Amino acid sequence: MNLKRYFIRALHRLQKGPGYTYKELLVWYCDNTNTHGPKRIIREGPKKKFVWFFLTLLFASLVFWQWGILINTYLSYNVTSSLSIGFKTMKFPAVTVCNANAFKYSKVKHLLKEMDKLIDAALERILQCGKQDPFSPLAVNSSENDSQALDLQLWNQLPLVLIDESHPDQPIIDIFTTNRTGAGTQHNSSSPSPSNTTAEAKKYKVAMKLCRENGTSCVYRNFTSAAQAVMEWYVLQSTSIFAKVPLEERKQMGYQAEDMILACLYGAEPCNHKNFTQIYHPDHGNCYIFNWGMDQEALISSNPGAEFGLKLILDISQHDYIPYLTSAAGARLMLHEQKSFPFLKDQGIYAMSGTETSIGVLVDELERMGYPYSDCTLNGSDVPVKNLYKGFNTSYSIQACLRSCFQAEMVESCECGHYLFPLPEGVNYCNNDDNPDWAYCYSSLRSSIRHRQFCIDSCKETCNDTQYKMTISMADWPSEASEDWIFHILSYERDLSTNVTLDRHGIIKLNIYFQEYNYRTISESAATTIVWLLSSLGGQFGFWMGGSVLCLIEFGEIIIDFLWITIINGISWCKGLKQKRAQTRYPDAPPTVSELVEAHTNFGFQYEDGSVTPGSGNCCRGRLPPEPGTPPPNYDSLRVQPLDVLELGTDTEPE
Amino acid sequence: MAAGRKITAKIKKTLPVTGPQAPTLGELMRWYCLNTNTHGCRRIVVSRGRLRRLLWIALTLSAVALILWQCAELVLGYYSASVSVTVRFQKLRFPAVTICNINPYKYSVIKEYLSELDKETRSALESLYGFSEGKPKVRRDAEDRNATAYQYLEKVPLLRFEDLTRKEATDLHSGHKRKIESNIFHKGSTNIGDPQNMIGFQLCDPNNSSDCAVYTFSSGVNAIQEWYKLHYMNIMAQIPLERKVNMGYSADDLLLTCFFDGLSCDTRNFTPFYHPLHGNCYTFNSGENGTILSTSTGGSEYGLQVVLYIEEADYNPFLVTSTGAKIIIHDQNEYPFIEDIGTEIETATATSIGMHFTESRKLSEPYSDCTESGADINVENLYNKTYSLQICLHSCFQKAMVDHCGCAQYAQPLPAGAEYCNYKKHPSWMYCYYKLHEKFVKEQLDCQQKCKEACSFKEWALTTSIAQWPSTASEDWMLRVLSWDKGQKINKMLKKTDLANLMVFYKDLNKRFISENPANSIVILLSNFGGQLGLWMSCSVVCVIEIVEVFFIDSLSIIMRRRWQKTKKWWNSRKAKQSRAPAPGTGPGKQGHDNPACIDEDLPTFNTALRLPLPQENHLPRTPPPNYSTLRLDTTFTEQLPDTLETESR
Repeated sequence: MNLKRYFIRALHRLQKGPGYTYKELLVWYCDNTNTHGPKRIIREGPKKKFVWFFLTLLFASLVFWQWGILINTYLSYNVTSSLSIGFKTMKFPAVTVCNANAFKYSKVKHLLKEMDKLIDAALERILQCGKQDPFSPLAVNSSENDSQALDLQLWNQLPLVLIDESHPDQPIIDIFTTNRTGAGTQHNSSSPSPSNTTAEAKKYKVAMKLCRENGTSCVYRNFTSAAQAVMEWYVLQSTSIFAKVPLEERKQMGYQAEDMILACLYGAEPCNHKNFTQIYHPDHGNCYIFNWGMDQEALISSNPGAEFGLKLILDISQHDYIPYLTSAAGARLMLHEQKSFPFLKDQGIYAMSGTETSIGVLVDELERMGYPYSDCTLNGSDVPVKNLYKGFNTSYSIQACLRSCFQAEMVESCECGHYLFPLPEGVNYCNNDDNPDWAYCYSSLRSSIRHRQFCIDSCKETCNDTQYKMTISMADWPSEASEDWIFHILSYERDLSTNVTLDRHGIIKLNIYFQEYNYRTISESAATTIVWLLSSLGGQFGFWMGGSVLCLIEFGEIIIDFLWITIINGISWCKGLKQKRAQTRYPDAPPTVSELVEAHTNFGFQYEDGSVTPGSGNCCRGRLPPEPGTPPPNYDSLRVQPLDVLELGTDTEPE
Repeated sequence: MAAGRKITAKIKKTLPVTGPQAPTLGELMRWYCLNTNTHGCRRIVVSRGRLRRLLWIALTLSAVALILWQCAELVLGYYSASVSVTVRFQKLRFPAVTICNINPYKYSVIKEYLSELDKETRSALESLYGFSEGKPKVRRDAEDRNATAYQYLEKVPLLRFEDLTRKEATDLHSGHKRKIESNIFHKGSTNIGDPQNMIGFQLCDPNNSSDCAVYTFSSGVNAIQEWYKLHYMNIMAQIPLERKVNMGYSADDLLLTCFFDGLSCDTRNFTPFYHPLHGNCYTFNSGENGTILSTSTGGSEYGLQVVLYIEEADYNPFLVTSTGAKIIIHDQNEYPFIEDIGTEIETATATSIGMHFTESRKLSEPYSDCTESGADINVENLYNKTYSLQICLHSCFQKAMVDHCGCAQYAQPLPAGAEYCNYKKHPSWMYCYYKLHEKFVKEQLDCQQKCKEACSFKEWALTTSIAQWPSTASEDWMLRVLSWDKGQKINKMLKKTDLANLMVFYKDLNKRFISENPANSIVILLSNFGGQLGLWMSCSVVCVIEIVEVFFIDSLSIIMRRRWQKTKKWWNSRKAKQSRAPAPGTGPGKQGHDNPACIDEDLPTFNTALRLPLPQENHLPRTPPPNYSTLRLDTTFTEQLPDTLETESR
């Protein structure tokens, strides 16, 4: 109903023609707007008018330019960081302790027996070879008998070979057979190609032969050091062997909590190996995590200093190490967040046997804003890599993502999973029997830059990054004076024996505690918010023109009025055109004044006229110079206008 | 003539206003207050009552003061920086790792140069403490004790001080007691309780033997080492560089195995680097051949793993007293200051060094006092590397050394045209050096003022931990194989204590980038200005222009006009006096005008309103009405009329 009335009114106005002109509208606007410039344009003399007009234009363009800059700044989503440092009651970090050696040698000997025999024999020959004249290759007679007993099939899956650098045409010497083979096979580019300048100093090198497709296509992986080659070979072989052993058995072969953790003290409260959560870590066998927070609340530490931290005594029983698998002896330990998986190879540190290692901890946190401020992930759900460490119930981390990504690549190209990483569903670990090519496949994958880059690109870092900065100090422990009784007590507690079953090479003391300042938090906040943007926009507008949002609305209103006037003008112009045409079509005499007067006064006449040609009637009225019917404009400014006229009149009078 | 006048008249008509319309300052102010866009001013004029008006004046003025204060604060705080920390997980450039043996030269080779010095050191030890190390050496020493003159002890005698307070000392070499007249410096023993029985040495200016400095040490160990080092540097300065390089450890000597990023590497990946104090050092990934290695996987297996061969038996007994290697992790463009910030590596252990990379960048001038490239620093960079504070300080000291002592210190690179100090050519250099060093430490050389910190720096935070290596179980085969690796040249079994295993790796590939950004820009500053102006007074630049216009241009022109009129009036009156013809119309005109203006103070009544145009109409032909429409509404331009009347009439 209202709408209809509104339309009728609009139509009425359309028919009536514009109430006022553009100039009137502008003058009115300038006089009444709240922005500072326009008022001055109309108030003062022509020179000043000119100046103010330009000033206003200049300021308006400045405002828009600066607004553009501000909006751009806002859309770049900058952040500012704030740093806080101090001491507060915090969750004690989860502490993972492992033995550097994954399995007890005494328990895995039956699995590794063949390999040990092989490598012993191989080493013997390699060492012999260096001593002898290189031109009479390998006197093998002495160990001919032994080699019969060796499992050469295991060896031939992944043999080590000697490379004689003094024979560029026939460099490859098999270790257990005396044949030399030509260099028809390609060299792996793993080490720079041997140059003749250094060949004189070193005659022999050890390389690993990696074959696929039943030994038809092989590459040799060079090593500058025989020690490295032996270690690498052993790791690959043992991986294949352990991959076939079920998990439960592997756990049994590792170090048990009660053997490893001899004493534990957290703050003033005693704890023991039962406070530790066992997980099986493929690198280090059984690992024990203190305060993982998986099944109970995380412990809280509210005091700095060694007295209130965690004190541990560990035994790593070094005599039970697998000789070829691990060369460094000690405990591996790592501090990490609750409910996160410990990646010891990346973040772990060593603790040396026979020492007391004190670790002061500072929690270095970085809290970042997510999208769109930075490209990080809150919980890893938006990362395209399937997190294989979900099975441990642990949170997302970039290390987990990278490893999952590698395993996925491995499964894709080698059709089996690597032993060091968790398995995706329906895939088995690689071993020499089922996947004879896996070592080749793995080696090429590992050195492939492209695959690594792919994983780096697809994984995202977490938004909250917590690091534990450690201040590590060491001292000899136990001291010579206290050695005796400490070993006695610890041996008794562990084995209930009166004999000393521990020694300096196996025992480690650890102190982990918060430092006086235990946290350093860098947190991000948005540098530019909507509030900031609005206040800056307002500031700019206010600074140059004293304007506000209302001024913008005023301006919009004026534009609508303008359009309205234009529409009305356009319509009247159209009608004028029509009228002209109509006049040419009926070249009668125009209505006389009396007729028109009659038309204005005589209602009946008007009605008839309107009903016959309403358009022409209106047009006639529009064409007439004075409009008796139009109401005077309501605007004040228009009232000023006559004054101007008056002024001009008075001005002219003296002349 | 007439046409020209017509044109001027027309111009006058179209552009009529040439000065402020308001006749007096008071009117101008009133007009301004009523018409300005700033708030507050209007209230002053509109308010009724003196108290209220005063209040508004005070409020407006305090608002202006507040604006000025706040804007000053904004300008002063313009050059502040905000810090942003970004973390990016990415492929990281592996830093350069420089590895040195702690012992600079093989003792067996360098012995020929040092035998004299060592002999004297031993004899000094014997006379000081009554023992000599190693039986066979004693015999030999005893033999030639009398045969040779002690040139080193002669030059810089070691002294034993019985009592410092009495300044008496015993010369160890001659056994004479002598009185010490010179200044005594305590090195490393600033607050010893017992000033007795101290060892030290005396350095004298050879040109002026009374000018001596005595350095004392709380422990003989320090004294002997310092004394030895002094002579050692002297001797080394005379040996040509190639010879020194030959005497040091070769890359094959030092490095047994090398493994990087899961692949084997060898000595060709190491760039030799000669360090004056540490002899031959080797830099892994120095970027010299144009390629810089990078790691795309964190963790210990993918970093650098080397086994170092530290030949403990070939160590210099006096120069270095610890065994092991020194490593430093630095950027490819940085100079490795091994002696200052190196990390020591123990033998018979595996040292695992986890790195975490942080890059920081500061804003340079005018935000902080740092230098981007070092080009704006008035100290020549003697090192062929990018600028750092350390480089600047060392270069500055070296420069001062060359200027003061005429020769260069051995531990730092040579400036152009200088040579290293040695006794033969520069007999006084030691004394000079010690003096200069003292000055340097006390910041009297101006070096600390001249050198600025660099704006950007890269830092590798290290987490170092050690484990026993090789483990007892693997020791046997490990040593055998490593001996074989090395043994194709040297036919001997290695010992555990000659070896050190080193692992350097990225803990994670997160790169922290801490950068400073300007907290303000011109746009934001203007916004803040606008906010302040708007908050207190609803003012803008337009208002400022208004203020300038009204308070400076218009006010001045009004004052000038007044002056002009006064002088004219005075002139006229003088003229009138001369002609004795009183000016007609002025007196009555004024009177007639005063009356309506007086009435105008009250609210206009119907009568006054009606009467008002009447006097005006009388004058209209003569005075143009003011152009301000507002002024016209204010009916109080009575003052203007006589003035303009006079000016117009002429």
